[in-house]
Amino acid sequence: MSDFRTVARLEDVPPGTLVPVELDGEKIVLAHVGERVYALHDQCSHEEYPLSSGELVGDQVTCVLHGARFDLETGTPRALPAVRPVKTYQARVEGEEVQVRIG
Amino acid sequence: MPQNETIRDLGLDEYKYSFVTDEKPFFKAQKGLSEEVVRQISAHKGEPEWMLEFRLKALEIFYAKPLPDWGGDVASLDLNDIYYYLKPQDHMERSWDDVPQEIKQTFERLGIPEAERKILAGVGAQFESEMVYHSLKEEWTEQGIIFESIEDGLKLYPEIFREYFATVVPPQDNKFAALNSAVWSGGSFVYIPKGVNVDIPLQAYFRVNSEQMGQFERTLIICEEGAQAHYIEGCTAPSYTSDSFHSGVIEIIVKAGARFRYTTIQNWSHNMYNLVTQRAMVHENANMEWVDGNLGSKLTMKYPSCYLVGEGAHGEILSIAYASDGQHQDTGGKVIHAAPRTTSQIVSKSISKGTGRSSYRGLCKVYEGAVGSKSNVECDALLLDETSRTDTYPYIEIDENMSSIGHEASVSKVGEEQLFYLMSRGLSEQEAMTMVVRGFIEPIAKELPLEYAIELNRLIELEMEGSVG
Amino acid sequence: MAEGTMTGDTRTDTESAPAAGADAIARGLASYVRSVYEPTLLTRLRREGWKTFVDTPMPTRKAEEWRYTDLSTLEPESYVPVTCEGERLPVERLPEPVREAMESDRDRAGVMVRHNGCLEHLRLDSALEAKGVVYAPLEEVADHRPDLLERFLFRSDVAPMEQKLWGLHAALLSGGYFLYVPAGVDVEHPVHAFRYLDQEGSVVSTHSLIVAEAGARVTCIDEYVSPDLERESLSLNGVEIFGADGATVSYLAVQQYGRGVKHFSMQHSNTGRDSTLNGFNVTLGADLARADVTSHLEGEGARSEMLALWFGDRNQHFDHHTLQHHEAPSAHSDLLYKGALTARSSSVFRGLIRVAEGAQLTDAYQTNRNLLLSPNASAVTLPNLEIGADDVRCSHGASVGQVDETMLFYLMSRGLTRKKAERLLVFGFFEEVLERIPGEGVRSRIRSSIETKIQAR
Repeated sequence: MSDFRTVARLEDVPPGTLVPVELDGEKIVLAHVGERVYALHDQCSHEEYPLSSGELVGDQVTCVLHGARFDLETGTPRALPAVRPVKTYQARVEGEEVQVRIG
Repeated sequence: MPQNETIRDLGLDEYKYSFVTDEKPFFKAQKGLSEEVVRQISAHKGEPEWMLEFRLKALEIFYAKPLPDWGGDVASLDLNDIYYYLKPQDHMERSWDDVPQEIKQTFERLGIPEAERKILAGVGAQFESEMVYHSLKEEWTEQGIIFESIEDGLKLYPEIFREYFATVVPPQDNKFAALNSAVWSGGSFVYIPKGVNVDIPLQAYFRVNSEQMGQFERTLIICEEGAQAHYIEGCTAPSYTSDSFHSGVIEIIVKAGARFRYTTIQNWSHNMYNLVTQRAMVHENANMEWVDGNLGSKLTMKYPSCYLVGEGAHGEILSIAYASDGQHQDTGGKVIHAAPRTTSQIVSKSISKGTGRSSYRGLCKVYEGAVGSKSNVECDALLLDETSRTDTYPYIEIDENMSSIGHEASVSKVGEEQLFYLMSRGLSEQEAMTMVVRGFIEPIAKELPLEYAIELNRLIELEMEGSVG
Repeated sequence: MAEGTMTGDTRTDTESAPAAGADAIARGLASYVRSVYEPTLLTRLRREGWKTFVDTPMPTRKAEEWRYTDLSTLEPESYVPVTCEGERLPVERLPEPVREAMESDRDRAGVMVRHNGCLEHLRLDSALEAKGVVYAPLEEVADHRPDLLERFLFRSDVAPMEQKLWGLHAALLSGGYFLYVPAGVDVEHPVHAFRYLDQEGSVVSTHSLIVAEAGARVTCIDEYVSPDLERESLSLNGVEIFGADGATVSYLAVQQYGRGVKHFSMQHSNTGRDSTLNGFNVTLGADLARADVTSHLEGEGARSEMLALWFGDRNQHFDHHTLQHHEAPSAHSDLLYKGALTARSSSVFRGLIRVAEGAQLTDAYQTNRNLLLSPNASAVTLPNLEIGADDVRCSHGASVGQVDETMLFYLMSRGLTRKKAERLLVFGFFEEVLERIPGEGVRSRIRSSIETKIQAR
């Protein structure tokens, strides 16, 4: 298990936004909702489209391509046409930095 | 055959339903699609703010999505030349006697209340954009079954509604799902509580009466664990010289161990564009069946789907299409195996006559991890004339090696030997031909409720008239 | 080498790529054309191909034909076109695999060896030569018989989605042969071509043009071989077969490239009245192999048999597209494509039977069977029908599955290990295709290649 590493400054991930980042070649989407920042694999499990171009609805992210929705916490699909979960990562805010742990 | 007399009144053949009712709508939105029209629809329904927002968002998605470049010729449909909302009366009736006389006559000519008295658990009737009548027999209400217009579903059961609405077919799914999400009106909201078995069908009847009318019903069905039900929809419209448009969205959730069957007998007039998204999410050991009969319309594009998301889920699609002169039936089905030991079967039969064209389009997808899944697809196409045409476009995508998938399709004309044999037994060529076609559709006809099966046979007979010689 | 390089502008944006890449290829092409003597006919076809390539956008995955194989990662300008300078190699100095293969089949009517597109060896039975059979490099025929070549070369009806690569193939043509069999001549033994590629980072573009005049009969084999390459090379290939009335052509392509090769093969057969084509494709090698196999049944009573087998391992991706185009009545076509996949390999089969209006009494069949031997292998199959005539018999079948468990347990109960039992079942699966492959030597080499792949599992 690797350590938490900084992937963005908090000010670059304003509340209510989705921001794509990369860590060790992994494409990650950060979602800032309320006090929390979530991190998911930045690819819809339906047709490999980046979730970062989708939109936030409550604690779910909607893929813009066909409307599949995923739970930000668990990556579980909440609306078809997706049937498989999206990988999630541990994320935290440390001071002014957003940190993610992968692997 | 006295039985046949009443069945005839159900009016599935086009000679019966081509009449037009002289309507005096309560409200008719301006022609064409705009944000204003969407706002008017929402206001007339007195909807919560979130639904208006949902509609406006869907309208944007609709504008942004390209028309499909496959399937039928959708481009010739002028989307600005359609009325998107026509409210026939200011409220829905629960007693048949209160339905306005003209509309009542329409449905009486189609045999709806009669059918209800005889065999059905509940009946809904949609005229233009709204359900004008919805009723459920008391014994079923007592068991907690909800069978309402979709608008009343939203009003009376806002929580269940919002939990499931657009989770099976999101507006982004395809251009016409987006359109429906923006302008939806009418359709049913059905909730079958846990363990309840409705052993006689619920039925909805859809009627488009006006010229250049668009009908966008939306149906949401939730079948709780271990419950069982059967829903039937029938659709008709009179023929006009200009085109009409029907674009429904049907969402069904079949919970663990439940069984649900959805039957459509679509006999729209031959000027109707019928672009429908029907999809079911099927959970553990649940069973979903689509029985899909496409006989009418100018162009139908419709592929009922089963998303098998729970272990042991089973999906079945029985599809029959009849394309005669000028018709294109682009139909089929989709099965998505996303859990272990899921099984599915698609049986498709199509008949093309004259310049008709029938296309089977299907998807069978097995995700990695759906071990032990099995799917079988059979498509048969019958061609009656040298000008008729048929296509088969199955997509089979398999990511799991521990599965077994088969697809077979065949195309044939009515066999000379078969005809010769039947004629040697004293049948005329016409009768022999009709008998062969009947035999061809038999596996699906037998899955229909009796009155529909007989009607289907009658329709085939009518269509076959003059097909020989 | 520097002069011939196409490594010009590196593409960043795939959408705007054609123009940038086009420049680089144009430079490479100009130097290539300058470096060899070439008859005007070929230069003209090259330029026409070039124009098609430039004018046609690169297909994206939105196109049905390219839905499962992503062409956007293909950068034609990143490969160096092969050039042929210096003397031909004597037979004993040909690459080992080629010599081995040449020795495995004794009875041959003709042999041709190309090494990185360059002609190293050519032989045709003198008795056949006396009968008017031509087996020669395209450039030679273009010089001596341009009239004959012009009747056939690049005359096939190429589908819109194939034109980009077909144009590139013509533009970069690095050698090909013309096999011409005059009316009534029966060529008993196969005519066998070997194409060996070992130039790193290169593009080779080969063509096979086969013409059988009325009543003629010939069998033709093309083999593609390479070692594993460090820097990826691109292999483009065009096949055109013209069978006149009553002719019989058997054609076999065996692709056994090593790693680091992308192979695109575009095969068109044009079958005349009562003419027969037996086409075989064996796909075992390369990282990415795409074959577009089109059978135009142009004459009444034409017959086309289309067979293929593939065995994918590691992360190989094989994509077979077929068209059985029934343009004339009373023609018969039968397709059987079988593939086995292991490791992380994937395959696509997309086959279409198209029966034109008026093509009555058509018999057309199409079967694709896929065997998945590992949890990470995946197969896509799309058997399509478009039927515009009613008096036809058409059917297709497709299946995806694993080896038959019952058979497996039976064999294991007879004392075989699981691995051995599986091997037997895989060969059993392929047998109906294998047994029909012409040429004992090549057939046994295919068997041993499959064997090696099974053993490596």
